[in-house]
Amino acid sequence: MEGRVFDAQVVLSPQDSPLGKVLSQYICVRIVRMDDVDIGLFDRDWNNAIYFFALNADEQIYFRYGGRESNSPDTYNSLESMWIALEQGLVLHKKYLAGQLPKQERPKPFFPRQIPPLVARTFAQHQCVECHLIGDFQNIQREREGVLDKLSQLYRSPDIKTLGISLDVPEGLVIKDATGPVAAAGMKPGDRITSWNGTPVITFGDVQYRYDQVDRHARSIHITVDRGGQSIDVAVDLPPLWWWTDLRFRQSSVDPRLDFEDRPLTAAEKQQLGLKPDSCASRVKYVSDMAKIRESHDLRIGDVIVAVDGVDTDPFANTAELYLKLHIKAGGSVKLEVLRDGKRITMPLQSYVLSFRK
Amino acid sequence: MLRPIAIAALLAPALFAQEQLIDWRTNYREALTEAKASHKPLFVEFRCEA
Repeated sequence: MEGRVFDAQVVLSPQDSPLGKVLSQYICVRIVRMDDVDIGLFDRDWNNAIYFFALNADEQIYFRYGGRESNSPDTYNSLESMWIALEQGLVLHKKYLAGQLPKQERPKPFFPRQIPPLVARTFAQHQCVECHLIGDFQNIQREREGVLDKLSQLYRSPDIKTLGISLDVPEGLVIKDATGPVAAAGMKPGDRITSWNGTPVITFGDVQYRYDQVDRHARSIHITVDRGGQSIDVAVDLPPLWWWTDLRFRQSSVDPRLDFEDRPLTAAEKQQLGLKPDSCASRVKYVSDMAKIRESHDLRIGDVIVAVDGVDTDPFANTAELYLKLHIKAGGSVKLEVLRDGKRITMPLQSYVLSFRK
Repeated sequence: MLRPIAIAALLAPALFAQEQLIDWRTNYREALTEAKASHKPLFVEFRCEA
């Protein structure tokens, strides 16, 4: 079970431990059923099995604590950084009690029972409303209503490593290493992130939540860092596909399963094959055994997919696989144009929908 | 013979009796009321145990 050790370390903290001493200054609550939780107030990426919020009695949130990266649920959890966040939460709380904290607009209440497919599939069968089911069924409902934006609602929680940010996790938002776009923008090891696109942040959970809210069409973001007591604004140019994350841990039913993986062609490969420089043509690098069993398609490793239903460019996708994930409904079918052994062939591709285990 | 898990269950209260642990409430609404009365902030954990 994800987060089991960290959960136990937090919940079983002795009162006289460093974490226990600061937790004792809070009213601590542990919720293990989401049925009646206001998910409008406690909004987050629902593919996290453990997540924390600090807030006041007027339900103004001080910070979020949690969040994960694609390949591990535990990368950003540490007792040390939680202690730092809780101390900072107490500073904000003193300001709140003194009437010095700016008012926040409370998010509109929203409850799991307002998600129709969750009611039909989970509540009606008296099953546990698991966190990930909230996100999954929200997206199913959005897809039914024609308002699903896969760029932001399927590809949730962009990875800060894509920006070149590596955190010194026990130290909270202190930069351990800055490379790529953030290094080019002037961020340095030892800097501490204090604000993300204008919103104050205390934890990685805050950063990930605010980063997730960035418009997927954005070209740049502003990060404020503290460097030796000086506040410095860093304007970061967002790299191509900055929002992309590996979806394999999400188990989302709106994610069409394709039974293959590919890689983008290089500029030289495109030129050699006579393809457009901005083409999303890609080379197949993996074909699942399930492709034959399900008769999804007849792709082979090494094939070059040059078009999907006649489309060969896309403003967001750099491969056919990504184009399919963004633009076709799970369970839908398309026609692929493929280069194999120097010949252009066409073939059908049938995607499929992941079934929930419940 | 007692199985290991049963022995652990018997020993657990004795082990934890050495230390005072944080009192984690389980009802958010009641905790919110308590936070108002005590002027303390809230720290809420959401844990999916499934």
